[in-house]
Amino acid sequence: MPGQKDTGQKVSDMENRDSREFKGYLITETDKEGKKRILYADDRACEMTGLSVEILLMSDPVKVTGSLETESVALNDDHELWVLNRAGSRRQKMAELERMNAALEDALKAAEAANEAKSSFLSNMSHDIRTPMNAIMGMTSIAISHIDEKVRVQDCLKKIQSASSHLMGLVNDVLDMSRIESGRMTLNEEVFSLADLVHDISVITSPQASRKKQDFSIEIGQILRENLIGDVLHLRQILVNIIGNAVKYTGENGKICVCFTQLEKDPFEERESGPDTVWLDFSCEDNGIGMSPEFLERIFDPFEREENTTASRIEGTGLGMAIVKSLLERMGGRVQVTSREGEGSRFTVQIPFSVAPVHESMALPVGETVLASGLPDEVAVQCGAWLKEEGMKPVFLKTGLETVTWLTEAQYENRMPCALLLGQEFAEMPVLELAAHVSQLAGRDFPVLLVSGEDWAQKEYRAKRAGVSAFVPCPLFKSRLLGILGEMTVKKQERSHEDVRKSRDYSRYHVMLVEDNELNQEIATELLSLTGVQVETAGDGARAVELFEASPEGHFDLIFMDIQMPVMDGYEAAKRIRAMQREDAGRVWIVAMTANAFVEDIRRSREAGMNEHFSKPVDPERLNEILYRRLN
Amino acid sequence: MQPYQEEYIANLREIAVLTAHRKPEENTFDEYEEHLRENRKKADALVKRNMELLRDELFPLLDHLFAADQAQLAGLYKFAGELLNAKEELDTGLFCQIHRALLSLARSKQDRSSMIRELYWLGIGMNSLCRMLAGLELSESGRFLSQMRLCFTEAAAYLKYFDEIDDTETRGYILRSRANMALGQFSRAGTKISLVKQTLEILQDQEYQQKEPALPWERFIYMTHQQMAASMSYSREDAMTAQEIEAVMESVYIVCERQIQEAARNHQFPPPRPVFYYFAVEYFCGMDSLDSLLTKIESLMDKADRQSTSGDSMYSMISLPAFYFQFLQQYPERIPEREEYIGELCQQIITYIISFPEKERNKSFFFSLRQLLYTFLETADGMTYREFLKKMMEVFAPEIYVNALVVGKAAAFFSAAIIAEEPDFFDDIAQIREITDSDKKRREILEFAEGCGLLHDVGKLSFMNLYSGTSRQWFEEEYEMAHLHTSVGGRLLKQRSSTSRYAAAALGHHFWYDGSRGYPEYYRRLEYPERQMTDIIGLVDWLENVTNTARLFVGVEKTFDEAVQEAIALEGKRFSPILTSWLKDVKFAGRLKQIFAEERQNAYRRFYENNHNQVKI
Repeated sequence: MPGQKDTGQKVSDMENRDSREFKGYLITETDKEGKKRILYADDRACEMTGLSVEILLMSDPVKVTGSLETESVALNDDHELWVLNRAGSRRQKMAELERMNAALEDALKAAEAANEAKSSFLSNMSHDIRTPMNAIMGMTSIAISHIDEKVRVQDCLKKIQSASSHLMGLVNDVLDMSRIESGRMTLNEEVFSLADLVHDISVITSPQASRKKQDFSIEIGQILRENLIGDVLHLRQILVNIIGNAVKYTGENGKICVCFTQLEKDPFEERESGPDTVWLDFSCEDNGIGMSPEFLERIFDPFEREENTTASRIEGTGLGMAIVKSLLERMGGRVQVTSREGEGSRFTVQIPFSVAPVHESMALPVGETVLASGLPDEVAVQCGAWLKEEGMKPVFLKTGLETVTWLTEAQYENRMPCALLLGQEFAEMPVLELAAHVSQLAGRDFPVLLVSGEDWAQKEYRAKRAGVSAFVPCPLFKSRLLGILGEMTVKKQERSHEDVRKSRDYSRYHVMLVEDNELNQEIATELLSLTGVQVETAGDGARAVELFEASPEGHFDLIFMDIQMPVMDGYEAAKRIRAMQREDAGRVWIVAMTANAFVEDIRRSREAGMNEHFSKPVDPERLNEILYRRLN
Repeated sequence: MQPYQEEYIANLREIAVLTAHRKPEENTFDEYEEHLRENRKKADALVKRNMELLRDELFPLLDHLFAADQAQLAGLYKFAGELLNAKEELDTGLFCQIHRALLSLARSKQDRSSMIRELYWLGIGMNSLCRMLAGLELSESGRFLSQMRLCFTEAAAYLKYFDEIDDTETRGYILRSRANMALGQFSRAGTKISLVKQTLEILQDQEYQQKEPALPWERFIYMTHQQMAASMSYSREDAMTAQEIEAVMESVYIVCERQIQEAARNHQFPPPRPVFYYFAVEYFCGMDSLDSLLTKIESLMDKADRQSTSGDSMYSMISLPAFYFQFLQQYPERIPEREEYIGELCQQIITYIISFPEKERNKSFFFSLRQLLYTFLETADGMTYREFLKKMMEVFAPEIYVNALVVGKAAAFFSAAIIAEEPDFFDDIAQIREITDSDKKRREILEFAEGCGLLHDVGKLSFMNLYSGTSRQWFEEEYEMAHLHTSVGGRLLKQRSSTSRYAAAALGHHFWYDGSRGYPEYYRRLEYPERQMTDIIGLVDWLENVTNTARLFVGVEKTFDEAVQEAIALEGKRFSPILTSWLKDVKFAGRLKQIFAEERQNAYRRFYENNHNQVKI
């Protein structure tokens, strides 16, 4: 068949042409040791090997022609002519095809494996979801059938509560995992404070550790920059997850040590670090149940949980560590873990963060004394170093009694410190009792800073009432300590001197003083006037009611109300003011000012609509404190 | 003093007599009941009058303290001195209130001498309040102790300026404050001992003595040695270092030697206190065995004059047994061989304290009673702690006792109604759940309810000055302190087998059902299987309080119907909805009201009958 022939001829021609076009020549020489070198290479040989002639002359001919078909013709004992032939690449094409086939096979296997993983994932998921769901359904049935047996019902409810909270954790983890894997999770770039982050983590995890009576400590190493840029929410999730696991898998009275430090460069030197990058180096070490070498290899795989009797009693979704790893990878970080079964585990995490720009230098009470009392030794050492670095003079005391003695002497000798830092290490007294006495002794303007790892929100009301001016969260960070110290001392001084009129410029505020005694009225008016506030006086409750009624709405910001007065007492006056049909009648702050200190009196003043109770005789510091609190 | 101040003090004394529930002298119960009613009416009128005196006279003066003249201030100072002094403790709360106001005045005037003096007296007042807290954990009493200690510390800090202060009185206050810094409980014996040691060094310093020869240095030093000697009880096991023990021993010898020598000069037996100190020192130093010490204490107690009300007899008859019991509680293996002796001793103690003349009951007497309350030892054949507590309430806190009986009966009535509908309502309690016989179970529940009612307020025995001795409403500080009666009660009951099952009711009866409020903060309702009974006690006690007794302390008084409505309004918050649903039943509420009235009368009758035929003191 001519067509067939033609076609065949064409192919053959093509092959011949290809043969001609794809031939290259080399002349090689073999030295005494049998090693070959190239003496000559034509352009085609350069083209076919992809190397320049200079490179070819320095190369091993066997290696550079490895992918080509070569024929050699001996020129003499030491020299050969090598003909490089691409026409023979048909074999290579075949090889390529084989490679592609193999790749396809691999892809198929991978797809099958993925499918298997998906099935395993679903199977695990179903199991993990079904287990608590079974518990919930089963326990609900038991509770219904024993509805009159209180103890049984209560027991069932406890189990339902536990199972549903486990289920909720599982669902949350799966959602997180799915968000990460589908790429729907985005990382936020926001400025955050490492000090705040560490304090938050401490507040979240310490109570869990304390319930198990564990020795839980957070150490702060070298910190280069405290304000960083990154996704703080996810970072918190990672760290809480790791610490939470340590608490969970460490027994009662166990030990957990968490450490934060910063590095200028990638500790493994795998990645470049720019000048505006620091590496957060976090570690969490425990002496808990540890992990087997087999499990250690799978720890970051989803749904992996250690299968031993101790761990299996501990609930978990098995996704936590997978989420940690995925999140860290997204953040450019890494996690490592070492562990020995029965001895404990150590997790380390390194993450790069951009540093946030520094705005302004802090104003500090340079040259002044800072009294610190009841701080743990290591905090005192660190704190002392920072204060000295910044030109302050720290004085450290251990007990509450020493503190009161020192302050009494200092006050008498006019050498009061600029602030008192109060720790919580007082064996012999509650710290708030000490704060309350100091604030009586030194006045309410004297800054008392509470250094504590506890949750401030829980303590704030009682602490402020006792006279604590501010809270310095622990673990202690330099910028946080100095920032608050500066805020409470330098700015306070500025306010109390030149800027007092601005920051405590109460001239736009109107205060009503209801007091029948002339001398008391005079003293209180004098004290109030010093602050710039506009004082209007009323000699009895009836006059106070008239004055309020006649004033424009919102005119009075505060009312100090005596209780025992002629014509109309303070209770009645407060009630009448509160009962007025005007918008400010309900919200104007009324302070009962009286020596009547019975429980009933306090209750009566509250029932009459007054907001707080202020004991007489008038204490200027307390008066100022109320103004500051209400008008600022 | 001003006439109103004198009147206030006279009223205080009269109120104490009127509320003491003296043993009935009347022939019939009706007469007795009428007498009680009259007394209560008179006492209420006097309390009202006292409140008026404070509101109309004292508080205006405190209000206008800046304007007070020297005579008024001196009068105030004297008045405070009558309220609390070495002999009497008439009204410590008011004493503190006055000195706190005077301290504020001194601070604002920057009058150093007045400040030191007021800090000292406020510290003394706080110390007196803190004595009610003996036996409590430091975590609960710490805040009150700290307030006292900080006052003394601030006053003592002026020691540095001893030379600059030129009046003897202020210098005396500084030194006494310095010594008083070591008053009260400490978490470590070493802290207390080191404070006393430093004080002794200061007092023995010739330079100070020469600067102010007018001060009674020898007395100060002796009293400080007494304070050091009182630290002896810490000398157990590893609580103290060798140096600390040495310091304590030295003081013990100084104190005891003097008293024994004095007794020898007067050809008398040495007083029991130093003799006991001597014996105890020998034991703590390892020179004597515990058995030998116990035998020596027994011989001291046996020698006591049981008819006398002297300080020494009181010490031998109440304090020594308290120490004796404390040793035995620490070493219970010593109890079996002494069971019979302990049983007899308990009877002797009870006879002694109930026949102790009312007029002679002073601060030391009540302090010793509190010691006994904490260490009382119950044995299998002897008096149970429950019986002892009941007797204590009956004799020393009759109003609390009557309230306890009424609450117990009302709780039993409430419980009976509930189990009639829901027999296994109290099945959280294993002891009750295990009873299969329904009649027996019912009896057990009702008995348990009465027991919880009877003992729920035993903690108040530690705060008798606040409750039985009150003659006005409480100040906020006293109100907070009174809250501790639940912790004290819970702790006392928990430690003895005859009362441990009632501990939850004592601890949790002021805690809100929803956990949002109430006290003590550490009470966790769900952790106690007795919670349902505690809920019942909490509700009936509240009904009894707001209709009967709270008017005295916090000025709240409601009719029974008002109280029931308020309880219903607090359903699910303060009170269990299961219980308030019963109150909504008008018939049930009516019957409960009747129970309260009847049982109060029955309680008085029981009181009358129990005491009517007893030998008059």
